[in-house]
Amino acid sequence: MKLEAIDQYATLRSPFHSWDPRCKLIGFMALIFAFSFVRDLRVLLAMAVATITIYLVSGLPVSFIVSRLRYPSLFLLVLLLILPLISGQTIVTSIGPLGIRQEGLNGALLIATRFLAILTTGSVLFGTAPFLTTIKAMRALGLPAILADMVLLAFRYLHEIGDDLQRMQMSMKLRGVRSSRFNLRSLRIPAWMSGSMLVRSYERSDSIYKAMVMRGYGQATHYRDDFHARASDISILVVFLLAAGGFVVGEMICGRGSVPL
Amino acid sequence: MHIPDGILPVPLTAGGYAIAAAATWYSVRRINQKEDPRENVPKAALLTAAFFVASWIHIPVPPASVHLVLNGLLGAILGYFAFPAIIIGLFFQAVMFQHGGLTTLGVNAVIMGAPAIVAHYVFRLRRLGNKESRAKIAILGFLSGSTAVAISVAIFIAVLLTNLPSQLDTVAETAAIYALALAYLPVMTIEGVITSLLVLFIQRVRPAILDGV
Repeated sequence: MKLEAIDQYATLRSPFHSWDPRCKLIGFMALIFAFSFVRDLRVLLAMAVATITIYLVSGLPVSFIVSRLRYPSLFLLVLLLILPLISGQTIVTSIGPLGIRQEGLNGALLIATRFLAILTTGSVLFGTAPFLTTIKAMRALGLPAILADMVLLAFRYLHEIGDDLQRMQMSMKLRGVRSSRFNLRSLRIPAWMSGSMLVRSYERSDSIYKAMVMRGYGQATHYRDDFHARASDISILVVFLLAAGGFVVGEMICGRGSVPL
Repeated sequence: MHIPDGILPVPLTAGGYAIAAAATWYSVRRINQKEDPRENVPKAALLTAAFFVASWIHIPVPPASVHLVLNGLLGAILGYFAFPAIIIGLFFQAVMFQHGGLTTLGVNAVIMGAPAIVAHYVFRLRRLGNKESRAKIAILGFLSGSTAVAISVAIFIAVLLTNLPSQLDTVAETAAIYALALAYLPVMTIEGVITSLLVLFIQRVRPAILDGV
């Protein structure tokens, strides 16, 4: 399991690494939602430039974003292959019996660019601070305590439960269990394996709760976070909010000639 | 069934967030009405992590394999913790595995979470009558698992049908979506069987889990 991959470069030095996590969350989420507004190809180009600039400033290595594109690349490939063939009427060229359509090409370009921009920006948001710090920032911004505690605990024990699953699967293989056939037995094996994981987790949660109570969990204490927004943090936030607003306004001005989607 | 970023229009993603926020608020409110609301947080969190990990298990369905959705079981066991648990699971998937998306988190939470709440009420029907027989638990377990996937597929298809590019060939689009729905029929059945086997296993090994958190 490589859950910790998101924290791999969280301790580098860049303006985004040292940015107050609360301001960073607000700024990046505003920009991400502004990106999802974009439909005009000219604004799309500006969005691509902004995304590349943000990634370069973050100091994250190219290998980081490439590794995160491994799974979505399948989705992008399907989109880029299918949409130009089935969307629109204006045929620009043909490959054998298949016509490549202008509207489909534009649509595929738009969705793919928007997708990549949001994914890259999101990767910078979560890749430039330890994941737990980002969750604490969410709590400081008003995420309900129950949700924040659940996220922190679930993240803490994902690794261990994942390792439990790997051990169970390994033990099954060593005992000669073959699960390549489809029958009732092949369904019973994953059901019981999942059941064992749930029972173990449930029992583990008892001792965790007792340990947490011993350390004062559940007492009426005021939550105190360690975040301090400096003037420079606020300034970067203002730049991000202005940029997000700029994309929305730019889209409204240029949007009349946009790709209809 | 997770919609990625960049496809849906902003009003829909914003609407998804609004519904998900309302459902989470209601769930947290119900949880806070308990005598000690924090008592069950570790249980719910660890079960959330376990469900998340269990969804990685692949079931061989020759010539391919499918993975478990488990939103029905999640609803049946976690009750009002199910919706927050699903949001957390989807958030992890979006941030760590780029599966789903950040802007579509709300919509995806509704697709997976609303059926979990339905499954919770379906599985509660086992308390009707004098005793909780194994047959009753098995049948309601099957119904919880399969119904949750069926509702998720229905919402997913409704979202796709109303938001796909306008220039798409309508006939091809409808055919593709119906093919997708048909492809999920075996998944619904498998999910129902697995959920049924799982609740029977839990009832035999640790019945307290079925009482909910």
